[in-house]
Amino acid sequence: MKIGVQSQDVLSAQDPHGQAHMEPVPPNLEHGVLLGTGTAPSHHGELLQGVFEDDGGLRRGLVTLPCALFASNATVRLTRWEPELTVTPSWKTKALTAARTTLEVLGMGAYGGRLELRGDVAVGRGLGSSTSDVTAAILAVLAAAGRNLAPERIARIAVAAEAATDPLIYFDRMLLFAHREGAVIEDFHRPVPPLAVVGFSSTEQEIDTLALPRARYNAWEIGCFRALRGLMRRAVARGDQRELGRISTASARINQRFLPMPRFDRVLEIAEETEALGVQVAHSGTVAGLLFAPHQAGLERRTALAARRLAELRITDHWRYTAGSETHVPYAHQS
Amino acid sequence: MSRTHTSRRAFTSVVDGHVLPKVIQVGPNVYGAAFHLMKLLPAQFILTSAMETGELTEGTTVVETTSGTFGLGLAMVCRLKGIPLVLVGDPAIEPPLRRRLEALGARVSIVSGPELRTRGVQQARLDRVARIQARLGSYYTPGQYDNPLNPVSYGAVAELLLESMGTFDALVCPVGSGGSSSGIGSFLRALNPRLKLIGVDTPGSVLFGAPAGPRQLRGLGNGLVPPVLEHTLFDEIHWLDAGTAFTATRRLHSEHAVYMGPTSGAAHHVARWYAEQHPELRVMALFPDEGHRYTNTVHNDAWLRRNGFLTPPPAAPSTLDHPVQAAGSWSRFSWQRRTRDEVVALAEGVTV
Repeated sequence: MKIGVQSQDVLSAQDPHGQAHMEPVPPNLEHGVLLGTGTAPSHHGELLQGVFEDDGGLRRGLVTLPCALFASNATVRLTRWEPELTVTPSWKTKALTAARTTLEVLGMGAYGGRLELRGDVAVGRGLGSSTSDVTAAILAVLAAAGRNLAPERIARIAVAAEAATDPLIYFDRMLLFAHREGAVIEDFHRPVPPLAVVGFSSTEQEIDTLALPRARYNAWEIGCFRALRGLMRRAVARGDQRELGRISTASARINQRFLPMPRFDRVLEIAEETEALGVQVAHSGTVAGLLFAPHQAGLERRTALAARRLAELRITDHWRYTAGSETHVPYAHQS
Repeated sequence: MSRTHTSRRAFTSVVDGHVLPKVIQVGPNVYGAAFHLMKLLPAQFILTSAMETGELTEGTTVVETTSGTFGLGLAMVCRLKGIPLVLVGDPAIEPPLRRRLEALGARVSIVSGPELRTRGVQQARLDRVARIQARLGSYYTPGQYDNPLNPVSYGAVAELLLESMGTFDALVCPVGSGGSSSGIGSFLRALNPRLKLIGVDTPGSVLFGAPAGPRQLRGLGNGLVPPVLEHTLFDEIHWLDAGTAFTATRRLHSEHAVYMGPTSGAAHHVARWYAEQHPELRVMALFPDEGHRYTNTVHNDAWLRRNGFLTPPPAAPSTLDHPVQAAGSWSRFSWQRRTRDEVVALAEGVTV
């Protein structure tokens, strides 16, 4: 993928579902100070993660399950009179790196100032706290500068700052995304169909996502990812939640060899008992979920049963939200 | 970037163009995955992988024992990649196939009478392969029966079937090496644990525990049990004799204008019956090769009559208590995802 620094692909300011966006703040509020804010949602791990064929080779890639429950908000104040850009809280160095890189890309390397991050995305669970921070920081810098960058370029900056990233910047469509390169392997062109998610944290322990060894998939698993990708194309085009649930469960199963989830078999049984569409996991985190169709009869009863069964496994930390777009319209040319 | 799968392009070679099947509806709830030549897929996948890992380099000769379509697949791939190929076959190899293999630059080595009489055809072929390997400095043997990449190569087919159909209910596969059935079956199962996998075998083949014997239908069944065949995936096995398969092949053509080889006819016959029994299910059958190789045989009434194959097949299979009873034109056995040993062990007390 070739990416230029040009910024013709203007980010949409429309934001009906809390996705990544820039606040339309006027650039000059104080004399000589550029002020900008940016917001990026969390995500809920992946519907699918593995290795996929791309241009005759294999690339690691994933399909993100969005989650607008939590978000990271960045505010940046830029001025030429301060030599350094600093960040609060000071340990959010990845967001700082991303902000600095963005300034360099914009030819504004001489600017310093303060980057401030606030948010409620839990750290170390696979909710993408660091990606949310990084994306929000980049968007804040762009807002302050009154400039735009193509989403591919923003994804590259995010990867450079944190080694692997979920494509939070692409809020309007599902992608098979090379998370370690910041490149799109395949664009499914459609938003995630609506999914009711009963999310939970499968263990109390935090996971350092980037410290995990990279999964070494065997030949059968690589073949299986082809099958999952084929079904994903159809499921997204048709908004078929049932097939998405199957893909998610199959991907979660394969991942058990690399990051086993405690009592995974029991969670599969709960999914069966509550007639969930499938089980979903953060492939490098502790977040997991049971997926349901939002308009299915008896949803409240079944999600309540799921919550009870999870509590019996001493999983008391759970939440409920609806992922994806209520306005998902399947392609017209269905047979 | 972000190519869509619908964008059209030129195929990079005939292998690229023919390697995947077309999914064709052949009944209200029956579909066929019709291949030009199914074995192109494992041939291409195994050789490409061996080149990537360095097992197959320039100057290395590919040696394989086969008298069938896997040899043709290898010959096409090897010719396009410029790799020398030696194929060891038995005297029953069809002359047109042999001519085609040789036209593609393959050396065809046929085991002869004395070897066959003393050691049997399988052993004679393996011995010949060993002799050729010893003579060659550097060789690579794809080993379709043992190579785990054979089933794995079918991931591309599972991708195509799922993209075209979504998850479906039953897959009917003619079984020879076990590569396509075990590969596609396992990938589809990963997404749909309830998928019924139905194997089609022929009397005389030992794949699923029937007694060994002569087989008139080449390409279906096997005289040995290949390690790549994963018995525990199968729910049900059918045994069709040559006459039933041939008649079914003719019917697939005359009713649906789908011109395929006899293993395709066998698969369609079983798929059609199963779909009638279960009208609420969607059934997919694999059609492994086209009919052109069989123009003068299966697709020729005179040949069928001369060889006594013009008897109409029964409308329904007989259900067996055990595979040792497999005989006649059409029988079936409920395999229930067991191992071969488990099923064979049930034979005690069964009347044959």
